[in-house]
Amino acid sequence: MLSVRGLSAGYGGLMAIRSLDLEVKAGEWLALMGPVGAGKSTLLGGLAGLVAARQGEIRLDGEDIRLLPPHRRLRRGIALVPEGRRLFSGMTVRENLMAGTHALADPGMRRRNLDRVCELFPVLAERARQIAGTLSGGEQQMCAIGRALMASPRLLMIDEVTLGLAPLVVESLFAALAELHRQGMTLLTVEQNVPLVLAHADRGCVLSGGAIVLEGPAGVLRDDPDLPRHFIG
Amino acid sequence: MQLVAQIVLNGVLLGGFYACMALGFSIVWGVMNVVNLAYGSMIMIGAYVTQMAVLQLGLPLAAALPLAALATFTMGYVLQRALLNRLAERSVFMTLIFTFGLNMALINLNLILFSADVRSLPDVFGRASFTIAGLSVPYGRATIFAVAMAMTLGLHALLNWTPLGNAIKATSFDPDAARLSGIDVPHVYALTFAIGGAIAGVTGALVATSYSFSPLAGESYTMKAFVVVVLGGLGSIPGAIIGGMLLGIVENLASLFLDSGYRDAVGFTLLLLVLILRPRGLMGRRFFAEVKG
Repeated sequence: MLSVRGLSAGYGGLMAIRSLDLEVKAGEWLALMGPVGAGKSTLLGGLAGLVAARQGEIRLDGEDIRLLPPHRRLRRGIALVPEGRRLFSGMTVRENLMAGTHALADPGMRRRNLDRVCELFPVLAERARQIAGTLSGGEQQMCAIGRALMASPRLLMIDEVTLGLAPLVVESLFAALAELHRQGMTLLTVEQNVPLVLAHADRGCVLSGGAIVLEGPAGVLRDDPDLPRHFIG
Repeated sequence: MQLVAQIVLNGVLLGGFYACMALGFSIVWGVMNVVNLAYGSMIMIGAYVTQMAVLQLGLPLAAALPLAALATFTMGYVLQRALLNRLAERSVFMTLIFTFGLNMALINLNLILFSADVRSLPDVFGRASFTIAGLSVPYGRATIFAVAMAMTLGLHALLNWTPLGNAIKATSFDPDAARLSGIDVPHVYALTFAIGGAIAGVTGALVATSYSFSPLAGESYTMKAFVVVVLGGLGSIPGAIIGGMLLGIVENLASLFLDSGYRDAVGFTLLLLVLILRPRGLMGRRFFAEVKG
């Protein structure tokens, strides 16, 4: 589905990602792991179009999308839930969700996607008129994921879904992601909680120093005695 | 007592006009952090377009007004898309210098096209007025007030109840998150500047009906818009209404005791007081987010 070749990306003159290759297959859940500063967020930002990709190619179903702006990539099916959630804090939950629909080709999809999101996260329906900035951390994360889902993505990328959340909330968020995965959504998640994500994902990649240093099926990585070594920067 | 009531009423009518005028300035500042120093010149262009439409094309005022709005809307879109978007990512001083220069260019363009003569439309409404509770309301002022309030409500409806309004608000909160949500941010910026321009055009049309204007008169409108926005709080529609009313009333009250030449001085004194006592403006800085909970 997504095929990345020789990608270099970063801010200013600093390349946090250097000639990276990555393959994401349709329907799989790929977990991106690695120490702080490994370039995980830069990679997701580069794929979504927020961070300039200087070199290489990003092919989505064969078409190179490297030079497209974020809203045109979203229209082709790539959504990113950014680190820190980045909700429109002074707007209501419903307005935040509707803000996710601007790239929809068919406005008729709005209603259907809203129903789907509210089915996945019923609390968002209850809080529809609440100002997003006043939600709890877990609810904000649900709202951010919901906003991304409103665009009917085929590939959902999530940066640090569990950041700063209580274990119980983390569990329910992962249950929701597992449900999405079961329905056929392709997932690419960056996660610090390695055991948790490897319990759910199909495949894992460890990123270190802007390159992939370890890659394999989640079950194999889980038992790899070498895995922790890669997290010591 | 009757006199004070009449003066307050005059202030409210003028304040409604100030509020509408300030909104075009406020939305651009609030959403894009651009202080548009050429705002007054855009108002003057609206006034000239209105005058030409009425005097040379023989159009009724009701048709000249949307024409003025369309002219400044288009101008706003092109300016933002072609020039200002290139500066959007840089320092606020860049955009400040840009709009300062733009203002000079527009003033001189107006001077070349229309000369420095002070113009006005032949009095459209005459001196006629009606009375409410013993207070006199001139038709001209009442019409300006009604159009200004209609524009204000229209902007409120646009921002809160349409997809474009949703995109504008989202962009004002977090441009990067807006990009990730599928919003074409440069296009939204251009439309925001265009909406600000359209409000300037309507303001200009209203100016043409009741006041005299010249290429250099624009500056005082920019200044008044600035005062109203800072008084009420940046990017808030209720703030612009309160700031506008306050300025209108205070200006009119001051004319009771002071020579009318002190009018602007009174406005700026009020501004200084608010800046000292409540620096974030009377309504705070909530951006275009006043949403019913």
